[in-house]
Amino acid sequence: MHALECDHLSKTYTSGVRGRREIQALQDLTLTIGRGEIFSLLGPNGAGKTTCVKILLSLVHPTTGSASLLGLPVSNPHARRRIGYLPENHRFPGYLTGEQVLSSFGALTGVRGPELATRTTQLLGMVGMQDWRKVKVKRYSKGMMQRLGLAQALINDPEVLFLDEPTDGVDPVGRKEIRDVLRTLKAAGKTIFLNSHLLSEVELVSDRVAILDHGKLLKVGTVDELTTTDSSYHIGIEGTVPAAFVTEATARVLGVTAGADGLTARVADVPALNTVIDLLRAHGVSITSVQKQRNTLEESFIDLITREVQS
Amino acid sequence: MTLLAIVRLTLRELASKATMYILAGISTVVLIGTAFAVSASQTDAGSLVTMFGQPLMEVPIPQDALVHFVRQMQAGLAGGLFTGIMLFGVFATAGIVPDMLERGTVDLYLSKPIARWELLLGKYLGGVAAIGVNILYFLVGAWLVFGMRTGVWDPTLMLTALIMIFMFGCLFGLVTFIGTWTRNTATTIVLTFLFLFIIEGPLLAHRESTLFRLSENTIYRTVIDGLFYLFPQISGMQAGAAAQLSGQTDIDWKPFLQAFLSGTAFFLGGAVLLKKRDF
Repeated sequence: MHALECDHLSKTYTSGVRGRREIQALQDLTLTIGRGEIFSLLGPNGAGKTTCVKILLSLVHPTTGSASLLGLPVSNPHARRRIGYLPENHRFPGYLTGEQVLSSFGALTGVRGPELATRTTQLLGMVGMQDWRKVKVKRYSKGMMQRLGLAQALINDPEVLFLDEPTDGVDPVGRKEIRDVLRTLKAAGKTIFLNSHLLSEVELVSDRVAILDHGKLLKVGTVDELTTTDSSYHIGIEGTVPAAFVTEATARVLGVTAGADGLTARVADVPALNTVIDLLRAHGVSITSVQKQRNTLEESFIDLITREVQS
Repeated sequence: MTLLAIVRLTLRELASKATMYILAGISTVVLIGTAFAVSASQTDAGSLVTMFGQPLMEVPIPQDALVHFVRQMQAGLAGGLFTGIMLFGVFATAGIVPDMLERGTVDLYLSKPIARWELLLGKYLGGVAAIGVNILYFLVGAWLVFGMRTGVWDPTLMLTALIMIFMFGCLFGLVTFIGTWTRNTATTIVLTFLFLFIIEGPLLAHRESTLFRLSENTIYRTVIDGLFYLFPQISGMQAGAAAQLSGQTDIDWKPFLQAFLSGTAFFLGGAVLLKKRDF
Protein backbone atom coordinates (compact mmCIF):
# COMPACT_ATOMS: atom_id res chain seq x y z
CA MET A 1 0.00 0.00 0.00
CA HIS A 2 1.35 3.41 -0.99
CA ALA A 3 1.28 6.37 1.34
CA LEU A 4 -0.40 8.54 -1.28
CA GLU A 5 -1.98 7.91 -4.63
CA CYS A 6 -3.41 10.37 -7.14
CA ASP A 7 -5.25 8.86 -10.04
CA HIS A 8 -5.94 11.18 -13.00
CA LEU A 9 -6.72 14.10 -10.70
CA SER A 10 -8.05 17.25 -12.32
CA LYS A 11 -9.43 20.40 -10.80
CA THR A 12 -11.13 23.24 -12.61
CA TYR A 13 -12.12 26.33 -10.66
CA THR A 14 -15.00 28.32 -12.03
CA SER A 15 -15.80 31.93 -11.38
CA GLY A 16 -17.78 34.79 -12.82
CA VAL A 17 -21.42 34.81 -13.88
CA ARG A 18 -22.71 31.24 -14.24
CA GLY A 19 -19.17 29.94 -13.80
CA ARG A 20 -18.11 31.05 -17.28
CA ARG A 21 -14.50 31.72 -16.32
CA GLU A 22 -12.65 28.50 -15.86
CA ILE A 23 -9.18 28.00 -14.43
CA GLN A 24 -7.65 24.59 -14.81
CA ALA A 25 -5.57 24.26 -11.67
CA LEU A 26 -4.66 20.60 -12.07
CA GLN A 27 -4.69 18.43 -15.18
CA ASP A 28 -4.77 14.65 -15.11
CA LEU A 29 -2.23 14.22 -12.33
CA THR A 30 -1.25 10.64 -11.62
CA LEU A 31 1.27 10.14 -8.87
CA THR A 32 2.18 7.59 -6.23
CA ILE A 33 4.32 8.22 -3.19
CA GLY A 34 5.79 5.33 -1.27
CA ARG A 35 6.00 5.01 2.48
CA GLY A 36 9.02 6.54 4.14
CA GLU A 37 9.76 8.90 1.24
CA ILE A 38 10.44 12.61 1.41
CA PHE A 39 8.64 13.82 -1.67
CA SER A 40 8.69 17.41 -2.84
CA LEU A 41 6.36 19.19 -5.18
CA LEU A 42 7.86 22.09 -7.09
CA GLY A 43 6.42 24.56 -9.50
CA PRO A 44 6.06 28.27 -10.16
CA ASN A 45 3.22 30.23 -8.57
CA GLY A 46 -0.12 28.97 -9.84
CA ALA A 47 1.34 25.62 -10.91
CA GLY A 48 -1.26 23.68 -8.92
CA LYS A 49 0.91 22.56 -5.99
CA THR A 50 -1.40 23.86 -3.28
CA THR A 51 -4.47 22.56 -5.11
CA CYS A 52 -2.85 19.13 -5.19
CA VAL A 53 -2.15 19.19 -1.44
CA LYS A 54 -5.61 20.53 -0.70
CA ILE A 55 -7.24 17.75 -2.70
CA LEU A 56 -5.20 15.19 -0.79
CA LEU A 57 -6.40 16.74 2.46
CA SER A 58 -9.99 17.00 1.21
CA LEU A 59 -9.99 20.79 1.50
CA VAL A 60 -10.75 20.95 -2.21
CA HIS A 61 -12.93 18.52 -4.14
CA PRO A 62 -11.41 17.19 -7.39
CA THR A 63 -13.36 17.80 -10.60
CA THR A 64 -12.37 14.37 -11.90
CA GLY A 65 -10.12 11.57 -10.72
CA SER A 66 -9.53 10.20 -7.28
CA ALA A 67 -6.93 10.19 -4.54
CA SER A 68 -6.19 8.05 -1.53
CA LEU A 69 -4.23 8.44 1.68
CA LEU A 70 -2.83 5.28 3.27
CA GLY A 71 -5.30 3.24 1.27
CA LEU A 72 -8.41 5.21 2.19
CA PRO A 73 -10.21 7.64 -0.13
CA VAL A 74 -9.30 11.21 0.82
CA SER A 75 -12.98 12.06 1.31
CA ASN A 76 -13.09 9.68 4.29
CA PRO A 77 -12.26 11.66 7.48
CA HIS A 78 -10.56 8.55 8.92
CA ALA A 79 -7.94 8.90 6.19
CA ARG A 80 -6.73 12.01 8.01
CA ARG A 81 -6.34 10.28 11.37
CA ARG A 82 -2.71 9.40 10.61
CA ILE A 83 -1.65 12.54 8.80
CA GLY A 84 -0.22 15.86 9.94
CA TYR A 85 -0.44 19.13 8.06
CA LEU A 86 1.38 22.42 8.30
CA PRO A 87 -0.44 24.85 5.99
CA GLU A 88 1.22 27.87 4.45
CA ASN A 89 0.26 31.09 6.29
CA HIS A 90 -1.59 29.18 8.97
CA ARG A 91 -3.41 31.14 11.65
CA PHE A 92 -3.75 29.72 15.12
CA PRO A 93 -6.33 31.39 17.35
CA GLY A 94 -4.51 34.29 19.00
CA TYR A 95 -6.22 33.73 22.35
CA LEU A 96 -4.51 30.35 22.83
CA THR A 97 -1.04 29.81 24.24
CA GLY A 98 1.43 27.57 22.42
CA GLU A 99 0.63 24.76 24.81
CA GLN A 100 -3.12 25.22 24.37
CA VAL A 101 -2.73 25.16 20.57
CA LEU A 102 -1.11 21.75 20.77
CA SER A 103 -3.58 20.37 23.30
CA SER A 104 -6.62 21.78 21.43
CA PHE A 105 -5.60 20.68 17.94
CA GLY A 106 -4.21 17.43 19.33
CA ALA A 107 -7.61 16.67 20.84
CA LEU A 108 -9.15 17.21 17.39
CA THR A 109 -6.97 14.40 16.04
CA GLY A 110 -8.12 12.03 18.76
CA VAL A 111 -5.04 12.19 21.02
CA ARG A 112 -6.06 12.50 24.67
CA GLY A 113 -5.08 12.57 28.31
CA PRO A 114 -1.53 11.80 29.46
CA GLU A 115 -0.40 10.93 25.91
CA LEU A 116 -1.44 14.40 24.71
CA ALA A 117 0.33 16.09 27.63
CA THR A 118 3.51 14.09 27.05
CA ARG A 119 3.57 14.75 23.31
CA THR A 120 2.88 18.46 23.86
CA THR A 121 5.91 18.80 26.14
CA GLN A 122 8.08 16.63 23.89
CA LEU A 123 7.19 18.51 20.69
CA LEU A 124 7.53 21.98 22.20
CA GLY A 125 11.02 20.94 23.26
CA MET A 126 11.80 19.51 19.84
CA VAL A 127 10.90 22.73 18.01
CA GLY A 128 12.62 24.88 20.63
CA MET A 129 9.45 26.52 21.98
CA GLN A 130 9.52 25.22 25.53
CA ASP A 131 10.09 28.68 27.04
CA TRP A 132 7.15 30.10 25.09
CA ARG A 133 4.60 27.44 25.98
CA LYS A 134 2.58 29.72 28.29
CA VAL A 135 2.67 32.75 25.98
CA LYS A 136 -0.32 33.57 23.77
CA VAL A 137 0.41 32.90 20.12
CA LYS A 138 -0.63 36.42 19.11
CA ARG A 139 2.77 37.46 20.51
CA TYR A 140 4.69 34.95 18.40
CA SER A 141 6.93 35.93 15.49
CA LYS A 142 6.50 34.33 12.06
CA GLY A 143 9.34 31.93 12.71
CA MET A 144 7.90 30.90 16.06
CA MET A 145 4.51 30.31 14.43
CA GLN A 146 6.21 28.02 11.92
CA ARG A 147 7.90 26.04 14.69
CA LEU A 148 4.62 25.74 16.56
CA GLY A 149 2.89 24.78 13.31
CA LEU A 150 5.36 21.97 12.79
CA ALA A 151 4.78 20.74 16.35
CA GLN A 152 1.03 20.90 15.73
CA ALA A 153 1.41 18.83 12.58
CA LEU A 154 3.27 16.17 14.57
CA ILE A 155 0.98 16.05 17.60
CA ASN A 156 -0.77 12.82 16.53
CA ASP A 157 2.50 11.08 15.56
CA PRO A 158 1.39 11.00 11.90
CA GLU A 159 2.49 8.49 9.30
CA VAL A 160 2.25 11.06 6.52
CA LEU A 161 3.25 14.66 6.98
CA PHE A 162 2.28 17.49 4.62
CA LEU A 163 4.43 20.58 4.95
CA ASP A 164 3.65 23.70 2.96
CA GLU A 165 6.60 26.11 3.05
CA PRO A 166 7.79 24.83 6.45
CA THR A 167 10.85 27.09 6.61
CA ASP A 168 9.01 30.25 5.59
CA GLY A 169 10.11 33.05 7.95
CA VAL A 170 12.51 30.80 9.85
CA ASP A 171 16.12 31.93 10.34
CA PRO A 172 19.02 29.85 8.89
CA VAL A 173 19.67 28.06 12.18
CA GLY A 174 15.99 27.27 12.53
CA ARG A 175 15.91 26.03 8.91
CA LYS A 176 18.71 23.61 9.64
CA GLU A 177 16.88 22.44 12.76
CA ILE A 178 13.74 21.82 10.72
CA ARG A 179 15.76 19.90 8.11
CA ASP A 180 17.20 17.78 10.92
CA VAL A 181 13.69 17.12 12.23
CA LEU A 182 12.64 16.01 8.75
CA ARG A 183 15.59 13.62 8.52
CA THR A 184 14.77 12.20 11.95
CA LEU A 185 11.17 11.69 10.87
CA LYS A 186 12.28 10.00 7.68
CA ALA A 187 14.55 7.72 9.71
CA ALA A 188 11.49 6.86 11.80
CA GLY A 189 9.73 5.75 8.59
CA LYS A 190 7.44 8.76 8.12
CA THR A 191 6.36 9.88 4.69
CA ILE A 192 6.85 13.59 4.10
CA PHE A 193 5.18 15.59 1.37
CA LEU A 194 6.95 18.90 1.00
CA ASN A 195 5.88 22.04 -0.81
CA SER A 196 8.61 24.65 -0.88
CA HIS A 197 9.97 27.48 -2.96
CA LEU A 198 13.42 27.06 -1.42
CA LEU A 199 14.85 24.64 -3.96
CA SER A 200 18.22 24.42 -2.21
CA GLU A 201 16.39 23.14 0.86
CA VAL A 202 14.34 20.69 -1.18
CA GLU A 203 17.51 19.37 -2.79
CA LEU A 204 19.06 18.72 0.61
CA VAL A 205 16.25 16.60 2.02
CA SER A 206 14.13 15.13 -0.78
CA ASP A 207 14.23 11.58 -2.10
CA ARG A 208 12.00 12.35 -5.07
CA VAL A 209 10.77 15.53 -6.64
CA ALA A 210 7.87 16.32 -8.96
CA ILE A 211 7.71 19.46 -11.06
CA LEU A 212 4.32 20.92 -11.91
CA ASP A 213 3.50 23.77 -14.25
CA HIS A 214 0.07 25.05 -15.23
CA GLY A 215 -1.44 22.05 -13.46
CA LYS A 216 0.53 19.51 -15.51
CA LEU A 217 3.15 17.15 -14.17
CA LEU A 218 6.30 17.91 -16.16
CA LYS A 219 8.75 15.57 -14.52
CA VAL A 220 9.09 13.30 -11.53
CA GLY A 221 12.20 11.54 -10.29
CA THR A 222 14.97 11.46 -7.74
CA VAL A 223 17.03 14.60 -7.19
CA ASP A 224 19.91 12.88 -9.03
CA GLU A 225 17.71 12.08 -12.01
CA LEU A 226 16.46 15.63 -12.22
CA THR A 227 19.79 17.35 -11.77
CA THR A 228 21.99 15.15 -13.95
CA THR A 229 22.13 16.55 -17.47
CA ASP A 230 22.10 14.20 -20.46
CA SER A 231 24.34 16.34 -22.63
CA SER A 232 26.95 18.12 -20.50
CA TYR A 233 30.25 16.63 -19.37
CA HIS A 234 33.06 18.11 -17.37
CA ILE A 235 36.47 16.99 -18.65
CA GLY A 236 39.37 17.50 -16.27
CA ILE A 237 42.76 18.09 -17.93
CA GLU A 238 46.33 18.89 -17.01
CA GLY A 239 47.45 22.32 -18.14
CA THR A 240 45.36 24.75 -20.20
CA VAL A 241 42.93 24.19 -23.03
CA PRO A 242 44.54 25.01 -26.42
CA ALA A 243 42.65 27.75 -28.29
CA ALA A 244 42.87 25.76 -31.54
CA PHE A 245 41.07 22.86 -29.86
CA VAL A 246 38.19 25.09 -28.77
CA THR A 247 37.69 26.40 -32.30
CA GLU A 248 37.83 22.93 -33.81
CA ALA A 249 35.62 21.28 -31.17
CA THR A 250 32.99 24.02 -31.23
CA ALA A 251 32.41 23.29 -34.90
CA ARG A 252 31.84 19.57 -34.26
CA VAL A 253 29.75 19.44 -31.01
CA LEU A 254 26.99 21.50 -29.37
CA GLY A 255 29.38 23.63 -27.35
CA VAL A 256 32.68 23.74 -25.53
CA THR A 257 33.53 26.06 -22.66
CA ALA A 258 37.02 26.24 -21.24
CA GLY A 259 37.41 26.67 -17.48
CA ALA A 260 40.23 26.86 -14.95
CA ASP A 261 40.37 23.15 -14.19
CA GLY A 262 39.23 21.77 -17.53
CA LEU A 263 36.37 22.23 -19.93
CA THR A 264 32.64 21.66 -20.24
CA ALA A 265 31.43 19.97 -23.38
CA ARG A 266 27.79 19.90 -24.46
CA VAL A 267 27.34 16.96 -26.77
CA ALA A 268 24.43 15.29 -28.52
CA ASP A 269 25.50 11.72 -27.63
CA VAL A 270 28.35 9.53 -26.39
CA PRO A 271 30.12 9.26 -29.82
CA ALA A 272 30.25 13.07 -29.87
CA LEU A 273 31.84 13.01 -26.41
CA ASN A 274 34.46 10.58 -27.75
CA THR A 275 35.10 12.98 -30.61
CA VAL A 276 35.92 15.70 -28.06
CA ILE A 277 38.23 13.34 -26.15
CA ASP A 278 39.97 12.29 -29.41
CA LEU A 279 40.44 15.94 -30.34
CA LEU A 280 41.95 16.73 -26.93
CA ARG A 281 44.38 13.85 -27.30
CA ALA A 282 45.22 14.96 -30.83
CA HIS A 283 46.18 18.32 -29.33
CA GLY A 284 48.41 16.50 -26.81
CA VAL A 285 46.22 17.30 -23.79
CA SER A 286 46.37 14.88 -20.87
CA ILE A 287 42.85 13.98 -19.56
CA THR A 288 42.44 13.44 -15.80
CA SER A 289 38.66 12.89 -15.48
CA VAL A 290 35.35 12.79 -17.38
CA GLN A 291 32.16 13.41 -15.42
CA LYS A 292 28.56 13.88 -16.34
CA GLN A 293 27.72 17.39 -15.22
CA ARG A 294 25.07 18.01 -12.58
CA ASN A 295 22.94 21.09 -12.33
CA THR A 296 21.59 22.38 -9.09
CA LEU A 297 17.93 21.57 -8.62
CA GLU A 298 17.20 25.23 -9.18
CA GLU A 299 18.99 25.23 -12.53
CA SER A 300 17.18 22.08 -13.62
CA PHE A 301 13.88 23.52 -12.48
CA ILE A 302 14.36 26.81 -14.32
CA ASP A 303 15.58 24.95 -17.41
CA LEU A 304 12.52 22.72 -17.43
CA ILE A 305 10.05 25.53 -16.87
CA THR A 306 11.74 27.69 -19.54
CA ARG A 307 11.57 24.85 -22.06
CA GLU A 308 7.90 24.32 -21.19
CA VAL A 309 7.14 28.01 -21.72
CA GLN A 310 9.00 28.00 -25.04
CA SER A 311 7.20 24.91 -26.26
CA MET B 1 -15.02 13.01 21.96
CA THR B 2 -13.79 15.00 18.96
CA LEU B 3 -17.07 16.88 18.97
CA LEU B 4 -16.45 17.76 22.61
CA ALA B 5 -12.97 19.05 21.70
CA ILE B 6 -14.54 21.40 19.12
CA VAL B 7 -17.13 22.59 21.66
CA ARG B 8 -14.37 23.23 24.21
CA LEU B 9 -12.31 25.17 21.68
CA THR B 10 -15.37 27.25 20.76
CA LEU B 11 -16.06 28.02 24.42
CA ARG B 12 -12.43 29.13 24.79
CA GLU B 13 -12.85 31.36 21.74
CA LEU B 14 -15.98 32.98 23.19
CA ALA B 15 -14.39 33.31 26.63
CA SER B 16 -11.72 35.47 24.98
CA LYS B 17 -14.32 37.95 23.70
CA ALA B 18 -15.18 41.10 25.62
CA THR B 19 -18.83 40.91 24.49
CA MET B 20 -19.43 37.85 26.63
CA TYR B 21 -18.11 39.64 29.70
CA ILE B 22 -20.14 42.76 28.90
CA LEU B 23 -23.26 40.58 28.77
CA ALA B 24 -22.34 38.91 32.07
CA GLY B 25 -21.48 42.31 33.56
CA ILE B 26 -24.83 43.82 32.57
CA SER B 27 -26.58 40.76 34.06
CA THR B 28 -24.65 41.21 37.31
CA VAL B 29 -25.49 44.91 37.55
CA VAL B 30 -29.19 44.23 36.91
CA LEU B 31 -29.25 41.42 39.49
CA ILE B 32 -27.50 43.54 42.15
CA GLY B 33 -29.78 46.48 41.34
CA THR B 34 -32.87 44.26 41.66
CA ALA B 35 -31.59 42.81 44.94
CA PHE B 36 -31.22 46.33 46.37
CA ALA B 37 -34.47 47.64 44.88
CA VAL B 38 -37.04 44.95 45.64
CA SER B 39 -38.00 43.45 48.96
CA ALA B 40 -41.10 42.06 50.59
CA SER B 41 -41.64 41.79 54.31
CA GLN B 42 -44.16 39.45 55.82
CA THR B 43 -46.84 40.82 58.14
CA ASP B 44 -49.87 39.17 59.68
CA ALA B 45 -52.04 40.83 57.05
CA GLY B 46 -49.87 39.74 54.14
CA SER B 47 -46.71 40.93 52.39
CA LEU B 48 -45.54 44.50 52.17
CA VAL B 49 -43.64 45.13 48.98
CA THR B 50 -41.10 47.92 48.85
CA MET B 51 -39.13 49.38 45.93
CA PHE B 52 -35.97 51.31 46.77
CA GLY B 53 -37.11 51.35 50.41
CA GLN B 54 -40.49 52.92 49.62
CA PRO B 55 -43.68 50.86 50.06
CA LEU B 56 -45.13 50.03 46.67
CA MET B 57 -48.63 49.55 48.03
CA GLU B 58 -50.17 51.21 51.06
CA VAL B 59 -51.57 47.96 52.43
CA PRO B 60 -50.02 44.49 52.63
CA ILE B 61 -51.00 42.16 49.78
CA PRO B 62 -51.97 38.48 50.01
CA GLN B 63 -49.53 35.72 49.00
CA ASP B 64 -51.10 35.02 45.55
CA ALA B 65 -50.92 38.75 44.70
CA LEU B 66 -47.27 38.77 45.78
CA VAL B 67 -46.56 35.75 43.55
CA HIS B 68 -48.30 37.52 40.67
CA PHE B 69 -46.28 40.68 41.32
CA VAL B 70 -42.98 38.74 41.41
CA ARG B 71 -43.88 36.95 38.17
CA GLN B 72 -44.56 40.27 36.48
CA MET B 73 -41.18 41.52 37.67
CA GLN B 74 -39.49 38.35 36.45
CA ALA B 75 -41.24 38.61 33.10
CA GLY B 76 -39.97 42.16 32.74
CA LEU B 77 -36.41 41.12 33.53
CA ALA B 78 -36.59 38.07 31.25
CA GLY B 79 -37.89 40.33 28.45
CA GLY B 80 -34.89 42.59 28.97
CA LEU B 81 -32.60 39.58 29.01
CA PHE B 82 -34.15 38.34 25.77
CA THR B 83 -33.36 41.65 24.06
CA GLY B 84 -29.85 41.60 25.53
CA ILE B 85 -29.27 38.06 24.35
CA MET B 86 -30.51 38.88 20.87
CA LEU B 87 -28.20 41.91 20.68
CA PHE B 88 -25.08 40.80 22.53
CA GLY B 89 -25.50 37.06 22.04
CA VAL B 90 -25.72 37.32 18.26
CA PHE B 91 -22.96 39.92 18.28
CA ALA B 92 -20.65 37.65 20.30
CA THR B 93 -21.34 34.41 18.48
CA ALA B 94 -21.87 35.54 14.87
CA GLY B 95 -18.12 35.31 14.20
CA ILE B 96 -17.72 31.69 15.31
CA VAL B 97 -18.29 30.14 11.89
CA PRO B 98 -16.76 32.91 9.68
CA ASP B 99 -13.62 32.93 11.88
CA MET B 100 -13.31 29.17 11.52
CA LEU B 101 -13.64 29.47 7.75
CA GLU B 102 -10.88 32.06 7.39
CA ARG B 103 -7.96 31.14 5.16
CA GLY B 104 -5.19 29.65 7.26
CA THR B 105 -7.58 28.57 10.00
CA VAL B 106 -9.98 26.41 8.02
CA ASP B 107 -7.02 24.38 6.68
CA LEU B 108 -6.04 23.49 10.23
CA TYR B 109 -9.54 22.33 11.12
CA LEU B 110 -10.41 20.46 7.94
CA SER B 111 -7.11 18.56 7.86
CA LYS B 112 -8.14 16.86 11.10
CA PRO B 113 -10.07 13.59 11.05
CA ILE B 114 -13.42 15.31 11.47
CA ALA B 115 -16.41 15.37 9.13
CA ARG B 116 -17.34 18.89 8.08
CA TRP B 117 -20.86 18.61 9.52
CA GLU B 118 -19.33 17.53 12.83
CA LEU B 119 -17.10 20.58 12.85
CA LEU B 120 -20.11 22.84 12.23
CA LEU B 121 -22.13 21.03 14.90
CA GLY B 122 -19.30 21.50 17.42
CA LYS B 123 -19.19 25.22 16.65
CA TYR B 124 -22.99 25.44 16.89
CA LEU B 125 -23.13 23.63 20.23
CA GLY B 126 -20.26 25.73 21.58
CA GLY B 127 -22.11 28.94 20.67
CA VAL B 128 -25.39 27.80 22.20
CA ALA B 129 -23.61 26.52 25.33
CA ALA B 130 -21.82 29.85 25.88
CA ILE B 131 -25.05 31.83 25.57
CA GLY B 132 -26.85 29.19 27.63
CA VAL B 133 -24.41 29.77 30.49
CA ASN B 134 -25.15 33.50 30.34
CA ILE B 135 -28.91 32.88 30.33
CA LEU B 136 -28.65 30.47 33.26
CA TYR B 137 -26.42 32.87 35.16
CA PHE B 138 -28.98 35.64 34.87
CA LEU B 139 -32.13 33.62 35.42
CA VAL B 140 -30.79 31.48 38.27
CA GLY B 141 -29.48 34.73 39.76
CA ALA B 142 -32.90 36.34 39.37
CA TRP B 143 -34.54 33.29 40.93
CA LEU B 144 -32.22 33.54 43.95
CA VAL B 145 -32.66 37.33 44.25
CA PHE B 146 -36.45 37.17 44.15
CA GLY B 147 -36.51 34.13 46.41
CA MET B 148 -34.32 35.72 49.05
CA ARG B 149 -35.82 39.23 48.85
CA THR B 150 -39.52 38.34 48.56
CA GLY B 151 -39.76 34.73 49.75
CA VAL B 152 -41.29 33.70 46.40
CA TRP B 153 -39.30 30.78 44.94
CA ASP B 154 -40.91 30.52 41.53
CA PRO B 155 -39.72 27.44 39.57
CA THR B 156 -41.18 28.76 36.30
CA LEU B 157 -38.06 30.89 35.97
CA MET B 158 -36.00 27.71 35.51
CA LEU B 159 -38.30 26.59 32.69
CA THR B 160 -37.95 30.07 31.18
CA ALA B 161 -34.18 29.59 31.15
CA LEU B 162 -34.55 26.37 29.15
CA ILE B 163 -37.04 28.03 26.78
CA MET B 164 -34.69 30.96 26.16
CA ILE B 165 -31.76 28.65 25.46
CA PHE B 166 -34.00 26.75 23.06
CA MET B 167 -35.02 30.02 21.37
CA PHE B 168 -31.42 31.09 20.95
CA GLY B 169 -30.59 27.62 19.62
CA CYS B 170 -33.26 27.99 16.91
CA LEU B 171 -32.00 31.44 15.96
CA PHE B 172 -28.39 30.25 16.02
CA GLY B 173 -29.23 27.63 13.38
CA LEU B 174 -30.00 30.56 11.08
CA VAL B 175 -26.87 32.45 12.22
CA THR B 176 -24.76 29.36 11.48
CA PHE B 177 -26.23 29.13 8.00
CA ILE B 178 -25.61 32.82 7.25
CA GLY B 179 -22.06 32.56 8.65
CA THR B 180 -21.29 29.54 6.46
CA TRP B 181 -22.81 31.18 3.43
CA THR B 182 -21.23 34.63 3.71
CA ARG B 183 -18.03 33.71 5.63
CA ASN B 184 -18.12 37.24 7.01
CA THR B 185 -18.88 38.22 10.61
CA ALA B 186 -20.16 41.74 9.90
CA THR B 187 -22.51 40.51 7.16
CA THR B 188 -23.75 37.73 9.43
CA ILE B 189 -24.56 40.21 12.19
CA VAL B 190 -26.27 42.66 9.82
CA LEU B 191 -28.37 39.97 8.12
CA THR B 192 -29.36 38.41 11.46
CA PHE B 193 -30.38 41.77 12.93
CA LEU B 194 -32.23 42.60 9.73
CA PHE B 195 -34.13 39.36 10.11
CA LEU B 196 -34.76 39.79 13.84
CA PHE B 197 -35.71 43.43 14.05
CA ILE B 198 -37.25 44.13 10.64
CA ILE B 199 -38.22 41.03 8.70
CA GLU B 200 -39.41 38.56 11.34
CA GLY B 201 -40.94 40.70 14.07
CA PRO B 202 -42.52 43.75 12.42
CA LEU B 203 -43.14 42.29 8.95
CA LEU B 204 -43.67 38.51 8.87
CA ALA B 205 -45.16 37.99 12.36
CA HIS B 206 -47.57 40.89 11.78
CA ARG B 207 -47.98 40.32 8.06
CA GLU B 208 -51.76 40.81 8.16
CA SER B 209 -51.33 44.41 9.28
CA THR B 210 -48.19 45.15 7.25
CA LEU B 211 -47.20 43.13 4.18
CA PHE B 212 -50.69 41.89 3.28
CA ARG B 213 -51.86 45.50 2.99
CA LEU B 214 -49.58 45.98 0.02
CA SER B 215 -51.41 43.50 -2.17
CA GLU B 216 -54.28 41.05 -2.14
CA ASN B 217 -52.60 38.90 -4.78
CA THR B 218 -52.82 35.24 -3.74
CA ILE B 219 -49.36 34.32 -5.01
CA TYR B 220 -47.81 37.28 -3.17
CA ARG B 221 -49.57 36.34 0.06
CA THR B 222 -48.60 32.69 -0.33
CA VAL B 223 -44.95 33.70 -0.73
CA ILE B 224 -45.17 35.89 2.38
CA ASP B 225 -46.80 33.02 4.29
CA GLY B 226 -44.07 30.72 3.02
CA LEU B 227 -41.38 33.04 4.34
CA PHE B 228 -43.17 33.25 7.68
CA TYR B 229 -43.06 29.48 8.02
CA LEU B 230 -39.55 29.20 6.59
CA PHE B 231 -37.79 31.36 9.19
CA PRO B 232 -37.75 30.67 12.96
CA GLN B 233 -40.79 32.35 14.54
CA ILE B 234 -38.92 34.23 17.22
CA SER B 235 -41.82 36.62 18.02
CA GLY B 236 -44.21 33.71 18.48
CA MET B 237 -41.80 32.01 20.85
CA GLN B 238 -41.19 35.26 22.72
CA ALA B 239 -44.94 35.64 23.30
CA GLY B 240 -45.12 32.02 24.47
CA ALA B 241 -42.21 32.49 26.88
CA ALA B 242 -43.81 35.64 28.33
CA ALA B 243 -47.13 33.83 28.75
CA GLN B 244 -45.41 30.90 30.45
CA LEU B 245 -43.57 33.20 32.83
CA SER B 246 -46.78 35.06 33.69
CA GLY B 247 -48.27 31.76 34.78
CA GLN B 248 -50.65 31.33 31.84
CA THR B 249 -51.48 27.76 30.92
CA ASP B 250 -52.92 28.19 27.43
CA ILE B 251 -49.56 28.64 25.70
CA ASP B 252 -49.31 28.23 21.92
CA TRP B 253 -46.41 25.82 21.42
CA LYS B 254 -46.68 25.75 17.61
CA PRO B 255 -44.07 28.53 17.10
CA PHE B 256 -41.62 26.48 19.17
CA LEU B 257 -42.05 23.41 16.95
CA GLN B 258 -41.87 25.55 13.81
CA ALA B 259 -38.72 27.33 15.03
CA PHE B 260 -37.10 24.02 15.92
CA LEU B 261 -37.75 22.65 12.43
CA SER B 262 -36.67 25.90 10.79
CA GLY B 263 -33.48 26.19 12.89
CA THR B 264 -32.63 22.56 12.15
CA ALA B 265 -33.25 23.07 8.42
CA PHE B 266 -31.04 26.16 8.33
CA PHE B 267 -28.28 24.34 10.24
CA LEU B 268 -28.46 21.42 7.80
CA GLY B 269 -28.39 23.91 4.92
CA GLY B 270 -25.19 25.33 6.38
CA ALA B 271 -23.72 21.83 6.69
CA VAL B 272 -24.51 21.11 3.03
CA LEU B 273 -22.90 24.41 1.96
CA LEU B 274 -19.81 23.60 3.99
CA LYS B 275 -19.59 20.09 2.59
CA LYS B 276 -19.68 21.32 -1.00
CA ARG B 277 -17.29 24.23 -0.65
CA ASP B 278 -13.62 24.26 -1.67
CA PHE B 279 -11.15 25.96 0.66
